[in-house]
Amino acid sequence: METWLNLISLTLGKATPLLLAGFGGLISELSGVINFALEGMMLMGAFAAVWVTYATGSPWLGLLGGMAGGMSIGLLHGVTTLKLRANWIVSSIALNLLAAGLTGMLLNQVFQVYGMSPSVQGLPSFGKVISAISGSLGVGEGQEHFARGMSVLTLLAPVLGLLFVGFFKGSTWGLHIRACGENPLGASAAGLSVFRIRFFSVLASGALAGMGGAYLSIGELSQFVENMSHGRGYLAIAALILGRWRPAGVLCAALFFGLSEALSEWMAVRWSYLPHQVFLAFPYLICFVVLMTHMGGRQPPSSLGRL
Amino acid sequence: MKDVMASIRYRRNIGKMLAPLFSLIPAVSVGILFCMILAPFMDVTPLELIGTIWKGAWGSRDAAATSITKATPLLLTGLAVGMAYHAGLLNIGCEGQLTLGALAAASVAVAAPQLPPILLVPLTVLTGALAGGLWALLPVLLRQYRGVHEVVSTLLMNYVAIYFADYLVLGPLGDGSAMGRTPAIPAGAVWPPLWSFGASGVSAAPLVALALSLLAALWLSGTLWGYEVTAVGAGTAAARAAGIPVERWRRRIFVLSGALAGLAGALEVMTVHHRFYRAFSPGYGFDGITVAFLVGNAPGWLWLSALLPASLRAADKLLQLELNISPSIVLVLQAVLLLSATCQARLISWLKQLISSIFTRKADIEQHPRTN
Repeated sequence: METWLNLISLTLGKATPLLLAGFGGLISELSGVINFALEGMMLMGAFAAVWVTYATGSPWLGLLGGMAGGMSIGLLHGVTTLKLRANWIVSSIALNLLAAGLTGMLLNQVFQVYGMSPSVQGLPSFGKVISAISGSLGVGEGQEHFARGMSVLTLLAPVLGLLFVGFFKGSTWGLHIRACGENPLGASAAGLSVFRIRFFSVLASGALAGMGGAYLSIGELSQFVENMSHGRGYLAIAALILGRWRPAGVLCAALFFGLSEALSEWMAVRWSYLPHQVFLAFPYLICFVVLMTHMGGRQPPSSLGRL
Repeated sequence: MKDVMASIRYRRNIGKMLAPLFSLIPAVSVGILFCMILAPFMDVTPLELIGTIWKGAWGSRDAAATSITKATPLLLTGLAVGMAYHAGLLNIGCEGQLTLGALAAASVAVAAPQLPPILLVPLTVLTGALAGGLWALLPVLLRQYRGVHEVVSTLLMNYVAIYFADYLVLGPLGDGSAMGRTPAIPAGAVWPPLWSFGASGVSAAPLVALALSLLAALWLSGTLWGYEVTAVGAGTAAARAAGIPVERWRRRIFVLSGALAGLAGALEVMTVHHRFYRAFSPGYGFDGITVAFLVGNAPGWLWLSALLPASLRAADKLLQLELNISPSIVLVLQAVLLLSATCQARLISWLKQLISSIFTRKADIEQHPRTN
């Protein structure tokens, strides 16, 4: 029982950044902006979160700082691609490079260290909240242990997912964003400012991915490690593809990727002679199969990447 | 009259040949400007910063050798990206192709140490190129038969390749240690330095890369096949209507692109590291995109743009030693170069508009004085 709970909590923990960044990618791609810069947004968010926490002492302000850090990359992506008509992919790759360099440079400028920052106070874990009320509710020891490993952001992420479903299915804003991704000419004929909506979407995407990055630095750990996003931004894109550009799909894909990452760690500890890299490569392989067989039926927004 | 026409045509050709430089120069200017803005934040003067980069990259023979050695894989991955882009495809999977090319090359060399160098060297090089080419075959087939965009598939395959290489090098192909590396390749497969001075030297690999890029430029501009490829990249519909086998060319060029990236990995093993190890590529695949886009994907000028990121990479240690600046600044500068290279078409047209609007207004007033 204990081990299973461990695995579940590990899965949820690993899925959280993917989920947040995946939703970031979703909002941007549904508005028609190809966003491969999630990696850079996460990294920037992770660093900004630690920086702000270090400066103010409050991890909650740090979380906001992380969102702002992600938005800064989103802002650049918006300006270069929407205003200056740069190639989407090339701009994204340049911004990922920029984030990797800038965080390394700032790490040295701010903390006078290389590689990793001094540790700061992290976001509270879900377990703290539970144990605060466990006396009155009578929560068992096992559940408490299970919850202690989870950050509050882990809890926030699925809630955000539900909000997203409602946002895109039911609200006018969600409809406007989708209209820009499906048919920008039609949207602009209907009186929407495609540029403004897309710009907003990229910024929102940066905020979400930045939150995912903040989870990595002040949720899971309590410090910034150079290049700590480690390809998770690209994995979030894979989750987006596997989820067929649907909020619920992204949620499932992120959980699935989290599980396979957790399994890989689990296996590496227990059966080190087995190739645990299989599980690390698994998300990408599954993504391939889905792409090849056109499973899931839905295609990307039809004007994705078209101005 | 005829002579005048000929000279105009000649001049236009010169302009066309130099066109890539016009996209490189603004990017470099923006990069230098950025350095000047950045320097005060790092408590150094702009001159110190730029001077140290120059000194670290080209200040001594050792430094120059390092720069040239580092430029070699960048030139090849840049050529890989550039060739694919000429056929209208964006290959962002060089990272994976290079990794597998390097691993395949190292493993073959380790497996056949008894072969004479004259067989072993070409065998190793070709295996590396073949592995890279095969890794690029799947994305292009997926694009043509299943409609999967090559950007997505090559991106995904990068990670598959890296994890696959990780597994192989920790398991069946490793040297048995927990370091995650292959045994050293036999001496017969090592390219000795052509010029060596002190600890560093330059092998023949940069020359090979340079020759390949110049050959590619000649091939693209001077042969019928090259013309066909360029036509495919310019527009598939027109190319198809002209009877050019679009799909076949794209397949060939993309596999060639992967092979070039694989070759970059093989040469890196044979000239620099003499073995394959985990996390082999420090981002050479993505740097290839910078290299290619800095000169508008013109293979003939890639050598110049490959030297830029390579010089930055060569200078990073000196920056840390002399100015106590994190080597990460190199990545920032490279990102700025790439960003300005991709945005410059619009930026330049804005500038032109601005300038011309100033001048035409003046000229209008001068040429058409008010009559009423």
